Amino acid sequence: MSLSEPAVEKTIPTAVAEKTTSKSRARGLLGNQQFILLLVWFAMIALFTYLNHIFFSVEVAGNILSDWSPVVLLATGETFVVISGGIDLSVGAVLGFSGVIGAYVMQWMTTNKFEAPITLAAGLVTCALVGLGVGLINALLINKARLVPFIATLATLGAAGGMSIVLTGGGPIAGGPPTAISLSVPWLGPFSTPTLVTIGVVILCGLFLHLARFGRYTYAIGSNAFAARAAGINVQRQITKIYALSGLLAGLAGMYLYLRLGSGSPTSGQGAELDAIAAVVIGGAALSGGEGRMTGTVLGAFILTTVTSGLIIIGVAPNWKQVVVAVLIAGAVSIQQLRRSSGRAA
Amino acid sequence: MSSATHDSAPLYEVRNVSKHYGAVVALDDVSMKIHAGEVVGLVGDNGAGKSTLVKVLSGAHQPSHGQILLDGIERHWKSPHDALEAGIETLYQESGLAPHLSVSANVFLGREEVRSGVLGKLGFLAQKSMDVRAHADLERVGIAVPSSSRSVSQLSGGQRQAVAIGRAVAWAKKVIILDEPTNHLGARQAGEVLEVIKAAKEQGLGVIFISHTLPHVLSVTDRIVVLRLGRIVRDAPTSEFNADTLLGTITGLITT
Repeated sequence: MSLSEPAVEKTIPTAVAEKTTSKSRARGLLGNQQFILLLVWFAMIALFTYLNHIFFSVEVAGNILSDWSPVVLLATGETFVVISGGIDLSVGAVLGFSGVIGAYVMQWMTTNKFEAPITLAAGLVTCALVGLGVGLINALLINKARLVPFIATLATLGAAGGMSIVLTGGGPIAGGPPTAISLSVPWLGPFSTPTLVTIGVVILCGLFLHLARFGRYTYAIGSNAFAARAAGINVQRQITKIYALSGLLAGLAGMYLYLRLGSGSPTSGQGAELDAIAAVVIGGAALSGGEGRMTGTVLGAFILTTVTSGLIIIGVAPNWKQVVVAVLIAGAVSIQQLRRSSGRAA
Repeated sequence: MSSATHDSAPLYEVRNVSKHYGAVVALDDVSMKIHAGEVVGLVGDNGAGKSTLVKVLSGAHQPSHGQILLDGIERHWKSPHDALEAGIETLYQESGLAPHLSVSANVFLGREEVRSGVLGKLGFLAQKSMDVRAHADLERVGIAVPSSSRSVSQLSGGQRQAVAIGRAVAWAKKVIILDEPTNHLGARQAGEVLEVIKAAKEQGLGVIFISHTLPHVLSVTDRIVVLRLGRIVRDAPTSEFNADTLLGTITGLITT
């Protein structure tokens, strides 16, 4: 920004004085979806603990974390996608598909007497690349074939999910390094190594979403794609990066589940995209784009997986989870709507 | 208010530009010039070719025939980004702001400042510095916004438009194209926008002002170009028009 001329004296009096009444401050705190989510989550933990004291233990926390990790990996990618105004339905299928392909690679390497660490590293890279590949196909379908994200990712959901079943015949693919499953054992309180890696990945993604240009462009596209394009942002390239990231994270989730189960299961990711989307929406992101926070997604995923574990522990049939999740989604979205209608200046 | 030196070399110019969309001729052999420190009004009825000419000037569309010259050098814009880089800012009729982003994020959209060092290479933003500079830059072009870290969705329609124009004026190095900037604004807010246009002119920018509101055009421009059915039917100093003759020329009732 360089202008040669000095300031113009006239200042347009369009300024609106900042209102910091106590009323608006209270609205600010309650309007903060992350704060509400945190309260809801703590209330859930308190309730389940009250109903069954076993709930408040390192073992249960470890269980919740190992449920949470694949969900939050998918949801992290989905957060970028949803903020950009899109949707990625393929992440669950990609989780299963990448886990299966990774399992085949690790099975072959184990049969051919490769060292376990090298085999596992190769498995990780394979899962990541498979996920990245599907993500790039999604981007291609959206950018070049001009499909809306819903249809494009519905297509890859079908393709990846179908291929997983066709390749495996529906059963799990084992025969990888026998030490794989021991990696999933928590060693730092409730945290296992893959969980710690997941947390690191999510934090990194959060930093890029909120503090870096990558995130800024993601919000801009979801908020007003026309404005983003007019400002010189390469929208197609950013869309490509976003769906590639979503695929990559789904691939990592595939490896996470492989380590947890000790095999690649073609059905393991079925329906997981809905958990991911639910976490993102509960976390405060708007499906219309431009809105959402990584902390919201993280808490959304915690609330989902806490409900699942909690219901089992207090002896309620786990299918009730669907009902609870439905209530949570409806509640989260209505809070958003209320906040939007009250928080906007005339 | 014809302070512009019309005998000097034009800043921005299109020569014999035509644009066809299939069999439809949207622009037919159009030539126009704009000088530094000059405000040119571009008027015409719906379908006269204003939007097409704006798209050609802003680099969004490539002309079928004809030349585009900036500072006397022929240019070929492949995208609006090319024109932007060369110093030509366009404010489109559809609001050019991202409502979920803050004022400063909008001012710096596509031109973000990054931190120094490794973090900057990774694209981490220098947010504080951008907040401060956005505020200062908007103030300099005559726009006061309460807080540049506020999201645009919290601003009124007039404030939004002021920010959009302020951004364009603050970044423009040579030419600023304003497509219906006073649309949907109240009288006071429209007056404020016209003040910003005058400020841009004083800073030596070439301003192309497209509007249906003829009193605004008559009050702020130095010269008016009238388009009709894809051709320029009149290009004359604003002093040669009044509200009636301008309307007559636009509708084709007055022919010269």
